[in-house]
Amino acid sequence: MTQLVQALVLGLLIGGVYALMASGLTLIFGVMNIINVAHGALLILVAFITWKIWSLSGIDPILLSVVMTPLMFGFGWLLYKGVLSRISGSSPGMSVLLTFGIAITIEGVLNVTAGNRFRSATPSYFSQSFRVLGISLPKAQVFGCLAAVLVLGLLFVVLSKTWTGRAIRATAQNASGAALVGIQSAGVAALAFAIGTATTGVGGSILSVLYPFFPASHYDWISRLLGIIVLGGMGSLAGALVGALILGLAETLTATYVSLQWSTLIFYAVIMLVLLFRPQGLFGSRLRQDVMA
Amino acid sequence: MLTISGVFAGYGGGDVLQGLDLEVPTGAITCIVGPNGAGKSTVLRVVSGLLKPRLGTIDLDGTRLDQLGTAGVLGKGVAQVPQSQALFPQMSIRENVLLGGYTLRRDKQLLAKRYDRVAELIPIVAERSHDKAGNLSGGQRRMVEIARCLMVEPSVLLLDEPSLGLDPMSLTGVSQLVKDANAGGTTVLLVEQNVRLGLSMATHGVVLEGGRVRLEAPAAELMANPEVAELYLGGASHDSKAPRPAESAHPVPGR
Repeated sequence: MTQLVQALVLGLLIGGVYALMASGLTLIFGVMNIINVAHGALLILVAFITWKIWSLSGIDPILLSVVMTPLMFGFGWLLYKGVLSRISGSSPGMSVLLTFGIAITIEGVLNVTAGNRFRSATPSYFSQSFRVLGISLPKAQVFGCLAAVLVLGLLFVVLSKTWTGRAIRATAQNASGAALVGIQSAGVAALAFAIGTATTGVGGSILSVLYPFFPASHYDWISRLLGIIVLGGMGSLAGALVGALILGLAETLTATYVSLQWSTLIFYAVIMLVLLFRPQGLFGSRLRQDVMA
Repeated sequence: MLTISGVFAGYGGGDVLQGLDLEVPTGAITCIVGPNGAGKSTVLRVVSGLLKPRLGTIDLDGTRLDQLGTAGVLGKGVAQVPQSQALFPQMSIRENVLLGGYTLRRDKQLLAKRYDRVAELIPIVAERSHDKAGNLSGGQRRMVEIARCLMVEPSVLLLDEPSLGLDPMSLTGVSQLVKDANAGGTTVLLVEQNVRLGLSMATHGVVLEGGRVRLEAPAAELMANPEVAELYLGGASHDSKAPRPAESAHPVPGR
């Protein structure tokens, strides 16, 4: 029983971090129909910078997300204005090609500057755990999940309670309708891309502690994150959260009761099963107008 | 007065509007009719700023609108209900209507006051305020789209095919809403494929063909025009006492 509870709690902790990483990806797709294949590479880029600063200064890697998040916000803004805005209105397929180019550029730069080998930030609490009711909770997982929940909560408040958030959601649902109420869609798209990229500031800092990484790790990460948002429903933040928790639980439960090698396969099997019955994903809703269209 | 002068505009495959000249009188309901592809919806898009004209000017009471973009045009009191679905389907009706006041968002009191007024005027806004807009019927959506526009208390309301896909009861409701808005001082410029309905709502009528004005006249005269009746009303004019076209509707020289 303790083993099951332990696996469930660990699954939820990991799922929380996955949710944060996937939230930026789904936000960008929802607002701009851009499938940002470079999202994984941006996570690895942040993980490298975090690891480098930690190894030089000893500053806590997760705490470094306070610096990395605004930096990535700015980087995302520039990336959108300078590159991605040029394919505004094009098909999602075009965005896959362009962002794949950005991803392999980042990978190449990291290969040249940081070298093609595994890294991992290991702060003092890396191998320590909290003991709660007989369950062992690794401190790094707990801190990572807390940071993720904090950022996801902030994102939720911004999107649902502020005019900026309403403008982002309105543009995501109906760009010309948004223009007609006076929302400047180009500015909103840049803002949404910057916010989506800013989530890699926190996600990458957490990743540097929880998972060993090297430049090409982004292929693995983008596969997982795309899997999460397809399962949850492309463009749905709630879907990304649930999809991420399912991935976290599928991984830890399979690793605990079957074998570590099967853990990722189970997740993709769940995706295939769900899509057979709900092609729009778990939270991709079908409204009256979708059926009528 | 909304004045469109010498406007050429299109979508990349040539100009749909071919030097359009049109005056929309203040306080009137002006209905544009015409065959498919005549450029009726394009007129509304260039006025609202969704489409920038290649040449020509659009002027509202001395202010140029054609360089402003959608937000700027809205700021001058011109709001549009487009032909296709304009609402935000995953948002509640309340959120949709409130977003109509996006340009007033810094004045919370004014926004709340306008929302209460619109909800009073259009009951569905209050009755289904928490329902998702994507779950409304076609007629209900039209009501909410108009409600959203009324949040800015527009001086000019642009309506694209308000009757499209509506049942008779919804149609009556939407027509009444347009007439009420007009009675409150709003100038209405509407495009309507259902010519009989459009002209019966309007005070002025315009026939558009090939991106130019072919005829313009008071709506009742245009309805009685045998040529219009033949082409758009499915037969001869119903009013045999109506004046001949040369005496009433004004063909526009050189168009």
